[in-house]
Parts: sequence; structure tokens; C-alpha cells
Amino acid sequence: MSRFELYSPEGIRIDGRRWNELRQFHCQTNTHPNASDGSSYVRQGNSEVICLVKGPMDTTYGSSSTKQLPDSPVLSISINHPAFATMERKKRPRNDKRLTELSIILKRCFLKTIVLHNFARSLIEVTVTVLSFDGGLLATCCNAITLALIDAGISLYDYVSAVTVGLYDQTALLDLNSLEEIDLSFITIGVVGDSDKLNLILCEDRLPLDKLERLISLGIEGCHRLKGLMNDTVRQVGADLLSKKQ
Amino acid sequence: MGLDYDISTNEQNFVLEALKQDVRLDGRKLNEMREVNIKILPSEYGHVEVSLGRTRVGCKVSSEIVKPYEDRPFEGIFMINSEISPMCSPFFEVGAGGSGYGVGSNSSQANEEVLISRMIEKAVRRSNALDVESLCIVAGKKCWAIRADLQFLNYDGNFVDASCIAVMSALLHFRKPDIEVAGEDVVVYDTNQREPVPLSILHIPISITFNYFNPNGSEENIKGDLNNELILVDADLLEERLSLGSMTITLNKNQEICQMMKSGGLNIDASLIMNCCSYASKLVDELTEKIHNVLKQDAAVRTNKTEEKELRVFNER
Repeated sequence: MSRFELYSPEGIRIDGRRWNELRQFHCQTNTHPNASDGSSYVRQGNSEVICLVKGPMDTTYGSSSTKQLPDSPVLSISINHPAFATMERKKRPRNDKRLTELSIILKRCFLKTIVLHNFARSLIEVTVTVLSFDGGLLATCCNAITLALIDAGISLYDYVSAVTVGLYDQTALLDLNSLEEIDLSFITIGVVGDSDKLNLILCEDRLPLDKLERLISLGIEGCHRLKGLMNDTVRQVGADLLSKKQ
Repeated sequence: MGLDYDISTNEQNFVLEALKQDVRLDGRKLNEMREVNIKILPSEYGHVEVSLGRTRVGCKVSSEIVKPYEDRPFEGIFMINSEISPMCSPFFEVGAGGSGYGVGSNSSQANEEVLISRMIEKAVRRSNALDVESLCIVAGKKCWAIRADLQFLNYDGNFVDASCIAVMSALLHFRKPDIEVAGEDVVVYDTNQREPVPLSILHIPISITFNYFNPNGSEENIKGDLNNELILVDADLLEERLSLGSMTITLNKNQEICQMMKSGGLNIDASLIMNCCSYASKLVDELTEKIHNVLKQDAAVRTNKTEEKELRVFNER
């Protein structure tokens, strides 16, 4: 077993949170106005992610050469996980299968959320860079991409917010950090808007089936909270922009 | 670039209309799996061919003695090789799952391949279905390396489920040669000399894939409140192409989720997902039973009756 007490009998986790508390969430949009059409910065606890969106643009531009689908955009998502983002400066292979998998998952997830017919035959290029990793890679990337797409003015049906939920013995823990992530089995859940509908589920560890419902319901609540926080930021940015124009 | 699988609008509408009326093209019910056929090839241990309708997957398990990884001296090595060749369908291209794809690769075929191989990897390897610690021979020096080679023979949808069954039944069937350790020296006995020993399998993960359709189109799914998505089990190629999303759950008999993935596609209500899970666990029980039955039958065929009689201490008079 671990040397850390992940969840004390008093109900306190390693970093002092309760079971249903998110880490500090901070987000910004339009962080790189000159480098991209839309950009965002998301910090969930000690996980920090920057996302740049270029597009929508002509498909002939850019590196990806793919067959054209007649009525949907080409969405390309790449995740950058540099060595300095983690404690251990491990050199990663360029074609890390895990990152490829995550980018495919994210891509599929957003293809259903973007209003496709508005962007026929155009290319949307998303680059995510992990500045510092402390758990919830997929979830943080997902939130960052949502914000960056909004900033780029790409029409989405609704926000996609994602969060991790872990299981400690009988208790579901919300938004794990990397220490907890190593020891506990967890799932990543992505929710669209304020609905109870799940867009994304990813579970890579063994987990008792009867605990799944509890995890999902906690995850959905966490996602709704995150969506609220992201929405506040976006509205604030919009209001600022409007007041500058007048 | 692999060929794309084009479906005419006519065919599309036909399938969807049929689904709305609870009928699938091959006459199955929506929640019915295709016939699973597990064939153990008689020549050797650990060579299995699984067919799921017209989808066919072969799996061959082999073993050798190698040096363990530096950072894991007490563990053996277990690899699953799952490269999809164009043999099974022109839909797949050569080497797309190997070094050919980049992180930003956009080809949907390459994407599919990565997801398939990662899902099998997570379902079987990451969930510790094979006890790798039992493969250690001399710590830090020698260990067994078990390799499962998947051959995809024909593609008619749902590779993940078929390959999961194939890998697990091949691993269960496989026997590695008996060894004896004296200090640092290892003696490997021929299969004729000593009965080969089975691997230690901790649990049997089985994948079940669900595909989703929405009779009212995908826009209704996001905007509306109805939860009337059609859920299909074990889709064939046509249905897989037409579906608006899929989810794969890997479970074992102990009601544990080993892996679960729903990436994008239609947004599905949590309660529907829970229903899928409990239905999957029922299917998993049936499939596990089936694998055990096939193995039992094979074991009965393989035992050499006359030899067994000769080796007996007493004879029947």
C-alpha cells in the first residue's frame, strides 16, 4: 500500500480537500491573440494546460493531407506533453501511443459538439501543450479545448466539461491529483452542457461495476460545476470586450 | 491510404428504417450478439481462431526465455501484437498501426487501429489478466516472455470483442514448457519429457461493444431531452459505419470493469449507460462459460487415453 494516507478517517484528502471538492480552477481565454485564432489557459490545481486553435481555415493549408469529407470539417488535435511537465524528466517517444489515443478520443468527442454544417470543408487545428501535469490529463485538455474553441468563435452546441473521479475503498473522490491517480482506479467523464448526458467516458483501471453509478453521478456534478466556472469566465471576457468597443 | 467504405444513401436509409422497427439486417434483435465460435487448432497449444459472425480473428501465443526489463526484475514480459493487415479488409492500410501514424494523423483508419490495439492492450494487459510475476524465473536474469500475436482474418465489424475473446482463450489454452531451476541454471524440459504447464490467469476480461443510433438525427440528441437512442450490441461492419457512436466495456466474471471507453459520438444518458453495463455483465458471464466449455472439450480430446492407462500404477483386471 501507499505511504500516503489518501483519505483520512476524518474525510480529508492529501491536499486537504473533501471527497466532493474540485481543485482550484482557473481559466483564461485569448491568452495568445497573435499566435492563433483562439487560445486558452486552464489550471486545475497544479495541472496547467495551454490550448491554441487555428481555424476554421482552408483545408489545403496545413500539414494534414486527408481525404475530404463533403460536409464536415477536418479537426486535428495534437497533444504536446513535454518532459518538463512532470517531475520525472522522462524522454517520451514522438509517437507516444497513449497521447495519440487521447487525441483521437478528444477529436471524436468534439466532432459531435461542433456545429458541423457551419464548417464544411474547413480545417480546425487544435494544439494542446501541457505545461505542468498533476493528474487529469484528458479532463484538463478537454476543458482547455472547449474554451479555446469558444474563443476562436467556432460554434459549439454547448460546453464540454470533463473531470476525473476516483474510487477510494467505498468513497468516490472528485478531481484527482497525480498522487491519487497513481494509487486509485479512476474514470474520466465528459458532459455536454447542463445535461446528464455523457459524451466521454474513459476507464483504464479495474473498478467494481456496482460502484460505477456513484462515480458517474459525482462526476456529472463536478462537470456541471466546471461548466459554470468556464461559463462565468467566458461571459466576463465577453462583457469586457463589449465595454471596450463602446 | 486504405479504401473508404462507401454506403449509398439508399442502403443507409434502409438500415436505419429497419432499426427503428427493431429489426437488423441479419435478423438479430438489437441486443443480440452474433454467434461466437471458438476454434482451437489441434496442432499446438495456444492457437485459437475466433469468429463472430463473419468477423474472424486468430491468436497465437508463444513463449521464450529472455532477460526481464531493468526496472521490473521480478516480472515477466507480456506483449500483444495487434497490427491489422489489409488482408482482413481493404479498409485497413499496411503499417498504419505501426510507425506510420503521427500524433496529428487524421486518417480515420489509422485512428481506428490505434483505438483497437489500445483497447485490447488495456483490457488484457493493463488489467493484469496474466499474472506477470509468475513468469519470473531468476530475478533480474531470466523470465518468460509471453507474446500473443493477433491475426485479423476477416473484418465484419467489432474487432475488439472478437480479439479479446481470442487472446483470452489462447492464453488459457497455452502451455509453456516445464522448467527446473537450480541456483542460476535453468533446465527446460521438452513437452514429451514433462507435461507443459499452463499460465496463471487471474481473471478473464471480455469486451462488449455497444453502438448507438438516434432515430431523430444527431442534432436532437444534443438539443432535445428524449432518451430514445437505439442501442445495438455487436454491430457488423455496415452498422458500425452508420452508427453515431460506440462504447466498449470490458468486464470480467467478478463484475469488475477492466476498461471502458466511450469517445465522443452521441451523448448518452447516464442511466442508459448503466443499463448497458448490467446487460454487458450478463453477456460476459455467458461468454466466459462458453470459453470454459470449449477449453474443457479440447482438454478431453487432447488427453491421450492409452498413455494414461499405461502410466497407471494398477491395471483393471
